[in-house]
Amino acid sequence: MAKRIIYPLFQLGNPQLRIFRPTFNLTLVRPGKEQPPDTVQFRIPLEMTKFDVRNYLEKIYSVPVAAVRTRIQYCTNKKRNHLNQRVKRPDYKVAYVQLAQQQTFQFPDIFPEKDQKHEEGSVEEMQEKFMEDERQRQKSDPRRGGVTEWFGL
Amino acid sequence: MSAAVASRLTAVCRQFQRVLTVSSHTQTQYATRAFSTFHSCQQSRMYDSWCFRSPMNNRAVHTSCVRKGLEEFFDLPENWGEQTVKSGAPWTAKQLRVKSNEDLHKLWYVFLKEKNMLLTLEQEAKRQRLPMPSPERLKKVERSMKRLDTVVEEREDSLRLLQTGQERGRPGEWRRNVFGKTFWYRFREHPIPWYLNSRYKRRRFFEPSHVAPYTRLSLEKYLRSKIRKEKREKRNQKSLAAMFPKKTALASDH
Repeated sequence: MAKRIIYPLFQLGNPQLRIFRPTFNLTLVRPGKEQPPDTVQFRIPLEMTKFDVRNYLEKIYSVPVAAVRTRIQYCTNKKRNHLNQRVKRPDYKVAYVQLAQQQTFQFPDIFPEKDQKHEEGSVEEMQEKFMEDERQRQKSDPRRGGVTEWFGL
Repeated sequence: MSAAVASRLTAVCRQFQRVLTVSSHTQTQYATRAFSTFHSCQQSRMYDSWCFRSPMNNRAVHTSCVRKGLEEFFDLPENWGEQTVKSGAPWTAKQLRVKSNEDLHKLWYVFLKEKNMLLTLEQEAKRQRLPMPSPERLKKVERSMKRLDTVVEEREDSLRLLQTGQERGRPGEWRRNVFGKTFWYRFREHPIPWYLNSRYKRRRFFEPSHVAPYTRLSLEKYLRSKIRKEKREKRNQKSLAAMFPKKTALASDH
């Protein structure tokens, strides 16, 4: 089911609880500290458990999971806004998932540098040209050979 | 319709040829989505019907066996580094009501994976201190999911009403809280009866005697405001009638 929904009580002999249409969202994050090659780091909602993460990844993404470890990251309540009220940054849970079958994962570079070719006559192209001209004007005279304006005439 | 049929055919061809996407920005609700979620070496049980009108990202099929699952947390490699990524309109409730329950179930997971991908992108953009390409996609997905929820709830409600006559799925009753306000209390499941539940007993569902005068006062306030509103309406109508009498209105008609 989801967050903010009350799960039915479990008593011995009850059938396995099935969750249809989960509302849990997993965010893959780049690890802050160096992690072993088979470890993937996720930010998960606070209500999720290790078993939830394992089932989620196995059933929805078919990722073989060997182990899951979680911790809760407490975020600050110290920051204050313009009204001097304390603003809480929401807490989150971090899951370290180790992949099975000796698979490895390296967080890719999602923002590579790309040469942008704007179409003719578009606003972006004009802006780019303008910026280029500005930069050319700001540059010093190349005949001075890198000497600053402080020296000489 | 022919456009839809044509685009469906191309979608089918795409699945088997692994051709790059064709993104259509305007009438994308009729463009079928060639799913990236079709991994041939994965269980594709969720994505059998390709005739989804998912107007969001038009993705190509890619079949990869290494890290096949985790790649779904990221966009197509062609879109990495772009400033904007084209995506269509969100699903409306009207469009979703046409779909069967199985289709809606599958669509839910499609939305879920899309949302996960967008959240990953957002977090990575914050980490790299770069703008996220097309952040409106998140809102679109959230709205679509909300509408799907609404449609499913409607169906469940109607089914329950037909089968049992119960208006609500979760039982409850009207109760007064400590402040004298009447509210709908929804029941919870407990393993023990209420008279053994000390925490429940501390939550009083009756107003103490010293609160009764305030209940009366708030009721009087509410009635007063209601009557004042009605009187104000009547006064307004009267002044309007005085400004625009019926005689001149009838005269202008002729």
